[in-house]
Amino acid sequence: MNDLLIVLATIVLGPLVGGFLFGIDRRLTARLQGRYGPPIVQPFYDFIKLWSKSRIVVSQSQSLYVLGYLLFTITALCMFVLGQDLLITIFVLAFGGFSLIMGAYAVKSPYANFGAQREILQMVAYEPILMLAALAIYMQTHSFMVKDVFKLNHPLLISLPLIFVALLIVLTIKMRKSPFDISASAHAHQEIVRGVYTEYSGPYMALIELTHWYELLLVLGIIGIFWATNPIVGVVLALAAFVLEIVVDNIEARMTWPWMIKFVWTTGISLSVVNIGLLWLVR
Amino acid sequence: MGSIAQLVAVAVLLPLVAGLICYFVRSSAVRTFTVVVTAIALIVVSLLLLQNGPFEYSPPPMAGMEWGTIILVADMALLVLFLALGIYLKNVLVTVFAVAQGAIMGYVEFGMGIRTEVQPAFFVDELSIIMALVISIVGSLICVYALEYMKDHEHHLHLETSRQPRFFFYMVLFLGAMNALVFSNNLLWVYFFWEVTTLCSFMLIRHDLTEVSMVNATRALWMNSLGGVAFAAGIMFMLQQAHTLSLKELISGQTPGVAIILPLSLLVFAGFTKAAQMPFQSWLLGAMVAPTPVSALLHSSTMVKAGVYLIVRLAPAYVDTHLSTIVAVAGAFTFLLTAVLAISQSNAKRVLAYSTISNLGLIIACAGINTSLAISAAIMLIIFHAISKALLFLCTGIIEHLIGSRDIEDMEGVVAKFPITGVITVIGVITMLLPPFAVLISKWAAIEASVNMPPIALIFIVGSAATTLFWVKWVGKLLTAPPTAVPIKAEKIAALYVAPLAILAALAVVLSILVAPVVDLVGKLAVAPYYKAAGIAAAGGDVSTGIGIATIWPLFLVLAVVIVPVYLFVRVRSEDVRPAYMCGENAVGVSTMEFRSVGDKPEMVNNSNYYFDKALGEASLNGWANPAAIALLVALVGVVVWR
Repeated sequence: MNDLLIVLATIVLGPLVGGFLFGIDRRLTARLQGRYGPPIVQPFYDFIKLWSKSRIVVSQSQSLYVLGYLLFTITALCMFVLGQDLLITIFVLAFGGFSLIMGAYAVKSPYANFGAQREILQMVAYEPILMLAALAIYMQTHSFMVKDVFKLNHPLLISLPLIFVALLIVLTIKMRKSPFDISASAHAHQEIVRGVYTEYSGPYMALIELTHWYELLLVLGIIGIFWATNPIVGVVLALAAFVLEIVVDNIEARMTWPWMIKFVWTTGISLSVVNIGLLWLVR
Repeated sequence: MGSIAQLVAVAVLLPLVAGLICYFVRSSAVRTFTVVVTAIALIVVSLLLLQNGPFEYSPPPMAGMEWGTIILVADMALLVLFLALGIYLKNVLVTVFAVAQGAIMGYVEFGMGIRTEVQPAFFVDELSIIMALVISIVGSLICVYALEYMKDHEHHLHLETSRQPRFFFYMVLFLGAMNALVFSNNLLWVYFFWEVTTLCSFMLIRHDLTEVSMVNATRALWMNSLGGVAFAAGIMFMLQQAHTLSLKELISGQTPGVAIILPLSLLVFAGFTKAAQMPFQSWLLGAMVAPTPVSALLHSSTMVKAGVYLIVRLAPAYVDTHLSTIVAVAGAFTFLLTAVLAISQSNAKRVLAYSTISNLGLIIACAGINTSLAISAAIMLIIFHAISKALLFLCTGIIEHLIGSRDIEDMEGVVAKFPITGVITVIGVITMLLPPFAVLISKWAAIEASVNMPPIALIFIVGSAATTLFWVKWVGKLLTAPPTAVPIKAEKIAALYVAPLAILAALAVVLSILVAPVVDLVGKLAVAPYYKAAGIAAAGGDVSTGIGIATIWPLFLVLAVVIVPVYLFVRVRSEDVRPAYMCGENAVGVSTMEFRSVGDKPEMVNNSNYYFDKALGEASLNGWANPAAIALLVALVGVVVWR
């Protein structure tokens, strides 16, 4: 019963927090670029506007994929909040991503298909880092359950600093921020239009935005548990990472996908491996 | 319910009898009847064996002849046949390996003066029963499918006399040999049936008698004969050092692993050749020249599974040895490299082949990790991989006959054009790739089993990412279609195709929903007797490894919530459909996929997947990967000798 309440709270409150964070993002980015920027609640206005538009589709199955993306992402977030197995949570998140990719593949559209290809590459880039983080956390807690992180009497950040840095790369990819916004950027057009999102519009686009809010919370949550001994510090840590991403986004240019693969697989995985190696040696 | 003797007789001898009927009675009706009845009988028998549980059994002598003698004679005859084949094919390797095996076997039987008979003849534990279920259910369904497929196949080839009699002889015989292999207790018997599967696969790969199929069949033969030599040598050293060839005794922990490490490493080496691990992957890749049912059979329920069966079966004997560590490293190496190689392939059968080798590598790596959890994961993978992989091969075979190509790029829109075949293929890929389906749950168990060997865990994790890449690209292609609101019309599809496909797809889904009770039984019955712990267990409807819990039922609930409402309620009106975005340069109409190119000339949109064949292709990886794999094999046998 308790679990059910937590799930309901996550589903209801999640988007409020997530949308609010996206509002902060827009505002902060504007300030960094010398603009005034929209009100903090702009993402909610956008959502309502998109939702009230007529349903235009390019394929019969579009709703299936959007729903899959939304519901599996929510499920991943709920599993995380309930303290479930981190590996399975990552796999479920990947199911959401898979659904989005299939939606982009489902219609024969040059830009969407391009975006889909790149989205797979992004997934292939960040997934190993998430899983290595799960492995590293296991080496500290002897469990893959998220809830067991809270039983630890020291913050994970102390023993897993390099893993933490690698996770910041994942956060950048997941937030679709430069230099990794290659399959679809958060704002405006890019060289492949809006990549995976190109063929979505109206209510479908609204649901995709909603999914982002949940997704952001999940990734920030994984960063937050690096200071689980004091939840307030954990939240501050996650917010600091969030602000850092916005700054990086504004000072970095978008790079190409081969660069992303090389960077993430060399730097990101090396950081993780060195950290895990050290833990293994001093065990 | 029949007695044990009858069940074993049906499982082992019925395929031989049915094969002979197929061979000598050339009527297609009789063949169809025989194969279908055999399939049903084998499936029923395997289920009865499951219900009956583990047993030991020694068949009484037949017509005054001990079965050991009969097998010995048959074995010698088989080696003579291999020798004749070597001479006929003018292949030095096949010839030399046949002579070597004959010499070793002769020495074992007549030169060593140690009794080779073993009691009981059949030692059937839960692992054997699981293998029998996989062989009898998945294998039989493939044979049924083959009835329809071979009709099509020969129709395309315009043969004057049908070659189906010999085809079905070897297909059905294969199942009997596999059943016997997993039941046998005496390593000599295992070896004989091992060689029978080598013969069957050789005959089936060369079935079409084209130049390529002859070359590839010969390669399969020499590589597996090399494995045969290792197997024979393993038997010789085992007899010398352990004075027994009884699998039951070898894995019961009475003989310390260190004392018999050399024979064990040779047997594991034999398993590597049969399971097409690097550097032997080329025989299985070449085997795809055979008609698709052969590929399905070799890749899912027979042949390669004999290799991993031997390695998993012997795992309790080499637990906590350096051999075990090297097995883990070598398996993980193949898992990663072949997953990466699969990315560069656009030939669907080649992708499937690499995926098979990769999964077998994962199974072998689990055997090398050799904890209760790892062995549970290995057995789970054996079961669930067989089902989904068989399904995917059968689907690819149908698609190939429908569109005339096995290239993934040509499979664009198969789901829209042939919804039944297409959707089942997508189900096949999803059950291989995503949670909460059983293959992924097995992979999860494998990763959690590898935590105390972080280098192996790292390889598992990176390999999983590579796996995602090649599956997603393929399934995406299947789903791509021009914008349209026209309801899809189902294609006509033969009953002998639908039945195996539907059963395999249902098995893949239902066993995934029931994965918790299934793995609970695997852990309790097949693993706990040898490892003192089950390693994996059901926790309510979920699966627990002790260090993590895989959520199962809630995820199926979410999946249902995604699919059911859309299927029931969402209808797209044709006026809501828009063309794909092409910078406003679409030529006419909604579903035409043309855009205005240079000089307003209409041009078709043509999308293609990334394959990275320069970076990840066979040409760039095999050059160092094969030598590295050979080095690992040298380590496998070498470290042991050196110790």
